[in-house]
Amino acid sequence: MAGGVILENLSGKKLFVLVSSLLFCQLACFLIGGLVAPTPSATDMVLASKCLYNHSNPWSYIRGEGKCFSYQSDIYKDSPVANTMANDIIFTFQIPTPRDGQTLDYSRWQQYLIGVLNFDIEYHIDTKMDRNLELTLDTKLGYRNVGDKDGDWKLFATSVEKRNLDCVSEEKIDGHNYQCGLVPLFELGSLHHDYYLINIKIPVDERNGINFGLGHLKDVWLVVINQNGGFTSVWLYMKTIFFPFIVAIMIWFWNRVHMLARKPVLLERMLMTIGFALTLLNLPVEFLTLSYDMPFMLLLQDIRQGIFYAALLSFWLIFAGEHLMIQDSHQKNLQTYWKHLSAVAVGCISLFVFDICERGAQLKNPFYSIWATNSGTNLALTFIILAAISGGMYFLFLSYMIWKVFCNISARRSALPSMSNARRLHYEGSIYRFKFLMIATLLCAALTVIGFILGQASEGHWKWNETNNLNYASAFLVGVYGMWNIYIFALIVLYSPSHKHWPSEIDVNNSSSDTIEFSRLPTEPTEMSSLASFSRKPAFD
Amino acid sequence: MKATIVIKAIVLMTLVVDEISRAYCKHREGKYKGTHWWGIAKAGEPNNLAPMTPGLMLMDSSSLMLLRNKQRRMIREHPGVLQAISKGVNMALQECQHQFRNRRWNCSTKNFLTGKNLFGKIVDRGFRETAFIYAITSAGVTHAVSRACAEGVIETCTCDTTHQRRGPYIQNSVPGVKDWEWGGCSDNIDFGYKFSRMFVDTGERGRSLREKMNLHNNEAGRMHVQSEMKQECKCHGMSGSCTVKTCWMRLPIFRSIGDNLKDRFDGASRVMVGNAGGLRRLRSKDNAQNKHYEQDQQQDQQEQLQDQLTEQQSQQNGGGGGGGGRGRRRGGGRNRYNFQLKPYDPQLKAPGTKDLVYLEPSPGFCDPNPRLGVLGTHGRVCNESSIGLDGCDLMCCSRGHKTHQALVSERCNCTFLWCCEVKCSVCQYRKTVNTCL
Repeated sequence: MAGGVILENLSGKKLFVLVSSLLFCQLACFLIGGLVAPTPSATDMVLASKCLYNHSNPWSYIRGEGKCFSYQSDIYKDSPVANTMANDIIFTFQIPTPRDGQTLDYSRWQQYLIGVLNFDIEYHIDTKMDRNLELTLDTKLGYRNVGDKDGDWKLFATSVEKRNLDCVSEEKIDGHNYQCGLVPLFELGSLHHDYYLINIKIPVDERNGINFGLGHLKDVWLVVINQNGGFTSVWLYMKTIFFPFIVAIMIWFWNRVHMLARKPVLLERMLMTIGFALTLLNLPVEFLTLSYDMPFMLLLQDIRQGIFYAALLSFWLIFAGEHLMIQDSHQKNLQTYWKHLSAVAVGCISLFVFDICERGAQLKNPFYSIWATNSGTNLALTFIILAAISGGMYFLFLSYMIWKVFCNISARRSALPSMSNARRLHYEGSIYRFKFLMIATLLCAALTVIGFILGQASEGHWKWNETNNLNYASAFLVGVYGMWNIYIFALIVLYSPSHKHWPSEIDVNNSSSDTIEFSRLPTEPTEMSSLASFSRKPAFD
Repeated sequence: MKATIVIKAIVLMTLVVDEISRAYCKHREGKYKGTHWWGIAKAGEPNNLAPMTPGLMLMDSSSLMLLRNKQRRMIREHPGVLQAISKGVNMALQECQHQFRNRRWNCSTKNFLTGKNLFGKIVDRGFRETAFIYAITSAGVTHAVSRACAEGVIETCTCDTTHQRRGPYIQNSVPGVKDWEWGGCSDNIDFGYKFSRMFVDTGERGRSLREKMNLHNNEAGRMHVQSEMKQECKCHGMSGSCTVKTCWMRLPIFRSIGDNLKDRFDGASRVMVGNAGGLRRLRSKDNAQNKHYEQDQQQDQQEQLQDQLTEQQSQQNGGGGGGGGRGRRRGGGRNRYNFQLKPYDPQLKAPGTKDLVYLEPSPGFCDPNPRLGVLGTHGRVCNESSIGLDGCDLMCCSRGHKTHQALVSERCNCTFLWCCEVKCSVCQYRKTVNTCL
């Protein structure tokens, strides 16, 4: 970086054109997200049909030939006979539900399927129900495709699951429902088949305390969430467009670096790394899900995002560090920053472990949830708290470094006018470089945070989407994705080494110490930043 | 002497005229068939036909006789909906009886096969109680139809994607699979709401104040279902974080709708008796929060035309419910709801969309009144210590009450076991029972 970067040598006009065209792209991303794409995901609330178990058919389904007999009455009687019904009543969800008289089937564009259960339990004054109840659900997930016979359900997964049901009654009025928390049921990373069927049994065993103390259960609802096909396609086409741009700019950057006489410096290598991470994220592998069953997509998506964030966070740290380091170590590499980077590493690894535990295990059993058991919850919380702590540490490190850089800048700036022309230009360039990145980064981060907060706030008003033609959630997601792409693109372009010669190098009529030190700079194999050399100056004096 | 005779004659004359006019009104109301659909609550009872299947219920001509042509068509076009409506009316009936268990009028029903109307003749008048019945039944239908949609019982529930239909499928747009794939569906409540409007309000197409009152109360009932919807969200972004969050609306439990409507009943506003001139056109000012009221004010003359248009349009659309959001946007008949009733006391605020309105003060309900179908409070149980309406003074209309001691055994400390057993201990205690004379 010592030889100057494009950013410093770019004329104001050219920079303005570049920045404004990038901002235009940004606006375009936002508008595409808001106007073309539908909401990111769709929900369907399905009320359980209570089927009577038919011993000749392992599956209970409610539509099509061979459908089950539904159990209508839900009147609780005080019968002396033991409750034999529990194992014979099957809560059945056959999704998707028909609409407009048409039988809908899931499309692979809809990517994933998440199921959440909701229990309607009636409050009765006399009865006591535990605040935290352990539910045992005997679940079974089946699938069927277009063209299969109505009853031809194939087993996808089956499992006996424990879940915590958290119910409170705030009003305490007889006949009202408890307010029960959502119970996550399953997550499918790929929506490869057309129809799905969920059969749930709630077995009761008084002696072993299984599902004992579950109150007056009336209904079970299943909320299924899937990505909208429209959103998937907009998202994928965005990725497909960004992908070649970022690859091209990386090749261009690497060529430029190799044209120099020196080896690539740390910051240049970091820029390449972040470019790679982004390319990995941009690679539209989701297109493969349209023809192949790839249940690991959710996990892969998390990993790709995680790698990108790790690269971005490390880049910021090293960028700040490179403009700060005062020591004379000649070989600067990642090891210099191990203390700072370990915060990023610990955070990312703990999130990765958590993800493997949750979504990795779901590859084997889609009903699995790490939150279901107490020990699992503790484990998950440990990892998340660890990640949060290291995130906090990271931001402390980063703000400390940025603060130090600013201290240095303001301290040395007073010395600038007394300097020779060449030196002044050099240091001004360095300060400019740093400030430009600071502003761009802060702008991007602030926009992301503001967008996120606005999104959370707007969720409260559920009519937002309907009164407003702009679809906020998609605009935010697509806009932010585009923004970080444009940000990285701009970084790689603007911070690639410049081949222009310093105008100051030609008119060398400065003090000897300046010349000696300065002439070393462009050829020096170490990537000493100009600020670092600047701060070293007092030692020479 | 002569003067008194004249006065007596005049009084007699007015009484006779009053009686005649009432009889005439009754005659007209006899033809009024707007609310007979309530009867299907009883027609489809499972003891009539053991397995309740829609096909069998359609055969039941006695229940279909109660319906208007349009309602019958809607039921034909939406298989499964009859069951839902029947469930809805029953739910409304139970809720009504629950809410009014402590009042002089306790939402008693008659055997509809002998009487003309499920709730008796009270619905032919414009009392507060009438307002409540209309609102709760309309809410019941909305609720039950939305619920049936969620259960997948009605396969023709609309998939309204108008607000997000921007994809490549706009050109060749038959609302359907492609749209659903692109942008998902609307909430089930949308269909429930629209269906209830089409079904429940079919009878109320006249211009009289009475019908405007019914429309208003029906709409109020539906509004309560809609506004009681609670939002729930689930985060499913990276590693389950809230970068991606999906929210949905949850159908409320019917009891809370009943509670709210009962509150509105207590604070119902009386609106002006008068001709249709008493109706002031309204700009959708206080409906701004209601998306179903997007339409602008229209001229009175257009309304009639529009109503006819709706009729035709819904015929083309197949029962109207299937028309989806586009028909709604074109505004077929929605201006039917764009009126504002004038408060009886001009100093009071005009009733809002969720308020109940009535035309005439309620009778005492103390004594049996066969003309109104009121049973009276003789023999009702009252609460001696209460100063409210269930107190013996008010309940028995100062007729006094008799008291006797009884040994009551009730269930207590119950435990519910899925499915479907309730284990209770029996608590016996002595209780004083007061009954009205």
